[in-house]
Amino acid sequence: MSMSPWLYFTDPILRAPTIGSMLMCLSASLIGVIVFLRKQSLLGESLSHAAYPGVILGVMVAGSFGLTEDYQAWLSILIIAGAFLSAFLGLSAIHFLETRFKIRSDSALCFVLSSFFGIGLTLGSQVQFFHSSLYRQIQAYLYGQAATMTDVHIWIYGSLSLLIIIAVALFFKELETITFDRNYAKSLGFPVRSIEMMTFTLTVLAIIIGIRSVGVVLMSAMIIAPAAAARQFTNRFLIMLCIAPLFGMLSGFLGNYLSIELSQHDPLHTTGARFALPTGPTIVIVASLLCLLAIFFAPERGLLLRVIRIARFRFQCICENVLKTIWRLDPEEEYTLDQISRFQPYSSLYLRFVLWRLVRHGWVQKPTAFTFKLTKEGRLWAAKIVRLHRLWEVYLAHYIGIGDERVHRNAEEMEHILTPELEQDLIVLLNDPKVDPHAQPIPPKEF
Amino acid sequence: MLAYYNPYTGTSFFEFFQIFFHRLFLLASGKLSFHSIAADEIQVFVLCSIAASSALTGTFLVLRKMTMLANSLSHTILLGIVIAFLVTKDGLVGEHYSINMQAMLIASLIMGILTAFLTEFLTKTGRLQEDASTGIVFSSLFALGIILVTLMTRNAHIGTEAVMGNVDALHIDDCVFAGWVLLFNLALTVLFFKEYTITTFDSGLAKALGFSVGFFNYLLMVQASITIIGAFRAVGVLMVLSFLTGPVLTARLLTDNLKKMVLIGVLIGIAESLIGVAISRHILSVYGVPLSTAGIVVCVTVAVFILTGAARLPNFQHFSRIFRWSKS
Repeated sequence: MSMSPWLYFTDPILRAPTIGSMLMCLSASLIGVIVFLRKQSLLGESLSHAAYPGVILGVMVAGSFGLTEDYQAWLSILIIAGAFLSAFLGLSAIHFLETRFKIRSDSALCFVLSSFFGIGLTLGSQVQFFHSSLYRQIQAYLYGQAATMTDVHIWIYGSLSLLIIIAVALFFKELETITFDRNYAKSLGFPVRSIEMMTFTLTVLAIIIGIRSVGVVLMSAMIIAPAAAARQFTNRFLIMLCIAPLFGMLSGFLGNYLSIELSQHDPLHTTGARFALPTGPTIVIVASLLCLLAIFFAPERGLLLRVIRIARFRFQCICENVLKTIWRLDPEEEYTLDQISRFQPYSSLYLRFVLWRLVRHGWVQKPTAFTFKLTKEGRLWAAKIVRLHRLWEVYLAHYIGIGDERVHRNAEEMEHILTPELEQDLIVLLNDPKVDPHAQPIPPKEF
Repeated sequence: MLAYYNPYTGTSFFEFFQIFFHRLFLLASGKLSFHSIAADEIQVFVLCSIAASSALTGTFLVLRKMTMLANSLSHTILLGIVIAFLVTKDGLVGEHYSINMQAMLIASLIMGILTAFLTEFLTKTGRLQEDASTGIVFSSLFALGIILVTLMTRNAHIGTEAVMGNVDALHIDDCVFAGWVLLFNLALTVLFFKEYTITTFDSGLAKALGFSVGFFNYLLMVQASITIIGAFRAVGVLMVLSFLTGPVLTARLLTDNLKKMVLIGVLIGIAESLIGVAISRHILSVYGVPLSTAGIVVCVTVAVFILTGAARLPNFQHFSRIFRWSKS
């Protein structure tokens, strides 16, 4: 009974949570890019906890005016105002602790986080006693509760998100400059302090939008994860600002989608109890998975491709070493596997594989079933490697002045790395030497 | 087990201390049996043990700039707790779950090491900056914990309680456990005080003397995990961070001497817990409002820090002015 994804945007009940979560992910990831690049990711964690007592204060004010759960608009506005104030208070507290008391940043963050949360819980237990009907509202802000969002929330959160988008777009140039080079921005005459203040305000705003659907405890993930994922794909600030919200919105949508779909396909459903995957944590898990996928599979920076690149380079080194071995025995002769393997540290099975690859690529030929011989290309390549090796030895011994007996090991590595341009430079620098420091001839350059 | 008669019912702030010290004297002189202690005394004992353990661990966490690691641990330990529940299948029925402490300790240690390992993996191998990898690891593991709790228990009660703590649900067994945790922390701190000091302040000297900085980092992490596990039932995994940092930062304002700092931190922590329980009882007696005791202890911690800070601040300005004169 899977529903079409489109339904999540049109159905009057599903619409609000889906769009609400996506809006919150959009604004959080937009701000997240800035926070991430300024290396302040954990500030989001502290500020989201610092917003919690404000949420409760908002509910308390609402309760004292006699507002009930039916007045969602007023309740939301009061909660947002309270959360904004207390998160801002938390921010000033962190700043104050760091500057006036010289407390290190991590301790200040941790202390503010736990203190505000503790104060929030104390206030919360008061609400539980006096306005128990509103207590559910507070619980919703702990782990988030997207499912109870209505169209009113979308209007409120939508306009706040729009505010963030407009601010980031308007001050793009300033934000970019300040993020990467604060002093340069100062020298350009940018109002650095005001812009930074605005960034903090926007961060607080994004967090407040977020805690409704993800909750104070998990909010920091929604700031970090999309930005970290986007960072894997680009080096440019503007592109990061475009990709991160896409990741964020995708995880917002998928989190909602999965939490509803998986709940309905629940195998435990027979017991009758209504069972639901919590939306907030699901969104966070999806965002973290996306980030993990980006870390593993992104082009260029991705872990997998890096590992593959390293493995290919290593394999190439091994191939070159085998070619070199045959060349140094005798470039024109045939050798059996055993004769070659005597000079190699690899197992004979692996060596067989390497030789098979070399035969397939035409560097080595097999005159008989058991012997191997270099082809013309193989001879040239091996000679080039030996030439680079010995050139480098000459360079180290004569130009740098390292002892003759110590140059071999380094040259063993450099022979795989030196490019034709470097080779040309070495020839010019060393006057095209003919023998290496060990009095062995350097093979001439061939084409 | 619990005394049905609670001698603290209806007492105000000062009466609480009167009765408390009177009964403490009776307990010490053997006129009161250990099994007849009241719920408030259990709370006092558990909170004071937690505060002392936290101050011992927290001092080195703060000085080593590892408090955000403690923050990660406190989040990921929820997953450990949930997995321990699933493995031992203990007490998921009923309002107050029972706990299998061995399973919980093992799970918390594994989660602690897993957290540190994953964070390091993302930083070193995944080339993610450190703050971001810390944030992603703990929040995703925490989210996983919440999802598991919801799936297994059909409500987030355990999740909420593990985050918020519930001092009123404490049992006399928790006293014993908190006592063991305190003993463990005390033993490690006394045994390795020199090693901790050297590895904290001069890693170069530590290396030259043959102490491994990494080993003591891990040991401190283990200490932090066990402290958090010992505290989560009473104060929850988040407020324990306030216990870990608050008294230590206050002590840091008062002294530059490490030994004094540890001692003052422990004493301040214990005093704050005691005052917190008394205030909680006072508010319940006088205004009839049951507030979260752990929350009140955190509020007291904040108040003590602010007062100490305010008292120290003019001094600080005074000194800096002298310094400026001497320069000119």
